[in-house]
Amino acid sequence: MISFELNGKTTEVTVAPDTALLWVVRDHLKLKGSKFGCGMGLCGACSMLIDGESTRTCVLPMAAIQGRKVTTIEGIGTPDMLSTLQSAWVEASVAQCGYCQSGQLVSATALLRKNSNPSDNEIDEAMSGNICRCGTYPNIKKAIKQAAKDLGEDSGQLQMVAYFDPNSIQQEA
Amino acid sequence: MTTSRSSDIALERKGVNTTRRNFLKNMSLVGGGLVVGLPVTGCANVLLPNAHESVLQPNALLQITSDNVVNFYLPRSEMGQGIYTGLTTIVGEELDLDPQQINVINAGLHEDYKNTEFKLQVTGGSNSIRTHFLPLRHLAANARLVIRQAAAQQLNLNLADIQTDNGKIMIKGKALDYGEFADYANTLPFPEDAPLKDKHEFKYIGKDNRRLDGVAKATGTAQFGIDVDFEGLCGAALKRCPIMGGTVKSFNDSDAKGMPGVKSIVKIHNGVAVVADHYYQAKNALPKLKIQWNLPKTLSKFSSDSTAADNGKGLFKTALDSDNATNVFEKGDGLTALKHAHTVISAEYWAPYLAHATMEPMNCTAKLADNRLELWVGCQSPELAKNLAAYYAHVPAENIIIHSTFLGGGFGRRSESDFVAEAAAIARASNLPIKLCWSREDDLQNDSYRPASMARFTVSLNKAGLIDSWTVKRAGPQLMPYAIDNVVDGIMPSILPNSLVDWMSKAGYRLYNSLLVDHTSVEGLYEDYDAPHKSSDHVTADPGLPVGAWRSVGHSYSGFFKESMMDEIAALQNQDSVDFRLKHLKNNPKLANVLKVAAEKAAWNKGLPKGHYQGVAVHASFSSFVAQIAQVSVVNNQLFVHRVVCAIDCGLAINPGIVKAQMESGIIDGLSAALYGEITLQDGVVQQSNYHDYPALRIHKSPEIDVVIIDSDEAPTGVGEPGLPPIAAAVANAIFAATGTRLRSLPLKLEG
Repeated sequence: MISFELNGKTTEVTVAPDTALLWVVRDHLKLKGSKFGCGMGLCGACSMLIDGESTRTCVLPMAAIQGRKVTTIEGIGTPDMLSTLQSAWVEASVAQCGYCQSGQLVSATALLRKNSNPSDNEIDEAMSGNICRCGTYPNIKKAIKQAAKDLGEDSGQLQMVAYFDPNSIQQEA
Repeated sequence: MTTSRSSDIALERKGVNTTRRNFLKNMSLVGGGLVVGLPVTGCANVLLPNAHESVLQPNALLQITSDNVVNFYLPRSEMGQGIYTGLTTIVGEELDLDPQQINVINAGLHEDYKNTEFKLQVTGGSNSIRTHFLPLRHLAANARLVIRQAAAQQLNLNLADIQTDNGKIMIKGKALDYGEFADYANTLPFPEDAPLKDKHEFKYIGKDNRRLDGVAKATGTAQFGIDVDFEGLCGAALKRCPIMGGTVKSFNDSDAKGMPGVKSIVKIHNGVAVVADHYYQAKNALPKLKIQWNLPKTLSKFSSDSTAADNGKGLFKTALDSDNATNVFEKGDGLTALKHAHTVISAEYWAPYLAHATMEPMNCTAKLADNRLELWVGCQSPELAKNLAAYYAHVPAENIIIHSTFLGGGFGRRSESDFVAEAAAIARASNLPIKLCWSREDDLQNDSYRPASMARFTVSLNKAGLIDSWTVKRAGPQLMPYAIDNVVDGIMPSILPNSLVDWMSKAGYRLYNSLLVDHTSVEGLYEDYDAPHKSSDHVTADPGLPVGAWRSVGHSYSGFFKESMMDEIAALQNQDSVDFRLKHLKNNPKLANVLKVAAEKAAWNKGLPKGHYQGVAVHASFSSFVAQIAQVSVVNNQLFVHRVVCAIDCGLAINPGIVKAQMESGIIDGLSAALYGEITLQDGVVQQSNYHDYPALRIHKSPEIDVVIIDSDEAPTGVGEPGLPPIAAAVANAIFAATGTRLRSLPLKLEG
């Protein structure tokens, strides 16, 4: 059995220790916000915060997760309680197809946690692990800068969810 | 997402059947209300949600329930291009209701959802806004009128006294929800000719509205096909032949059977599938399968790097040199013009096969029970998907229900239904509810690729240095024969035996290729510029790798070919690239205009930073007109694309923010192709497998992009695809300006 903290909640799973975290979260724990894109840690669609760092979870075995803090997009904000970054994202209409966006938001959240006022180069560096085939990069930059500004004015939070109840999920189709 | 119910105003009414309304409410059904749509037949195989099953439903696009929920059933597939917001904006405008308050539902299958140009329920060709602009406005305007008529009759007022404001009937300063009158409106004849708003009355069209799917996509709550889940659903993975088109000769699954979670192993038409409790378990078991394949004969012989005359690029070059070409377009007398030409310029260009590489790998969920098949899928052509699924699951097409989801990228890939056919076949063979998911490797190696193409231009100039004749011949595979192969299975009447349908689809390929030219093979190669004599030919060169629509289709290569050629001519004539183009756009004023606007915005060849150079390209596609100017530098044979200026004339921009985003999207997608994109084969096997050897542009390589949208009162035209075709040539032309080297092959490679 492997025990870790998922979105503020202690979680225990019994799976083969080489199972990738992404599949445990998506298929066993039914949180679908994190996506499968490449299976090789190349595209970033599966990004989650592991102890605050944006991490590719499609290649991260559960054995490496024991005792660690995992935050998925669901643990950052919800439709009713958007984080400041998510609000900026919505205002800038960043998403196109939307598939990579959870991963983008996770990486941007990790960036703003460490750097409250990132430069263009710092944004490039922090976000270059996340591919967007729709090319939302110009709006991603815009939203990150807006969120940095809003957070700097003390009018927001990077993470709205302290404890995420998986039963609260409603998918919009 | 719903408007609040206003119940504080008590007005005396007539004719409301409160008993029926209460009955329906007590039954927790929303049966009352108005269900309207475009006039079509009632051949519905899907009952709309939110409607009582006894309610007659001749139409299926819009519902206004007595609970004041306005449901818009989105007839096209949202894959990033923005029609979830765009079409809803059009509805909201004429309904006089903030689009943010409309409940948008990804529609299932219905006659009313057919694409009016394709006559099928298909999303593509950048035509969603263009084809729906007027019909949806009429629909919504008529719905608003009938609500006003109902209000007038129920309240004993004149129609002229009934005004609306953002989903409310306004009477004497009081506001009543539309829903209050939906039941009564349903008893009135539906109007056909409500007047449409004038442009100056628009509240939502042309404004910068937030995307309606923004919150769902920023919170991970938007449902894609891959997210579909229910109790008992199994994961499936499929091992296909390493060479596309191969079939299973024999297989041994004894090692795979014992793998964790494995529940079933089945052979289907193109491979062997493993069904397990979870997808990752099925995927892990695939390598344990031992399969002998029947290899496809033609494709197995093809290697991209072969130098033989009948292989690699030689296959295309030989085709170009042959006399087998079919003429597609002819104007004037090009041959005579060539004889009398002052100057003749000729050049050849190459564009490789490309994969779509959508972020969401192909997937489809299929559940077969009682001769009834339910599918959950994000796809561009649910109607063809349904028919193919019927063929592969041996279920009557009318017994198939499709639940549509958001698409994690389309770019044309999801107009194919191969993955739906596989899911249907696996569900049939395994007798289990399955979600088939492709790996990235499956995706890159089993695509319907953008056809590789080679083109040769021969252009003659008169003494004045103007183009006299424009001749172009293109060699490459055609889309339509492959589409026929796929589509015939799905459109033939189900009374025909499958073996006959198979024969017809194979015969269709040969018949088509020997008799007809698919216009997408040559589109964009000859139309844009003025020339007294023009000629365009096609000759099929096809190694046998399946091809399909890839964002902007033929324009994806013709934009590069034609605009590079134009630049070569201008350079050889020592003419400015912008001026020379303008001289040949006298009959194409919209393209000339976007070029002028882009040149001005980019300060064409004025005061660039040291070491920076510009390149220009223009291209008309999908009824829109686009000019792009790329600003690059080349340092130690390293290319940097710093900035792209883009001007588009797409008629009236419904959502300018989305038009801008689609230009950025087309440019960035086009840069991925221009700088990296190349699918190559070795003995028929696709060599690329994941994003490390088939890279996509990342944020740090993404240029600054400035988009200018031409102000226009004309009807809207395409935006999903037209932003892509010019960019490769704009960059190649800038490289020429920087280095003097003309790159005639994609991807653009600077010699190290």
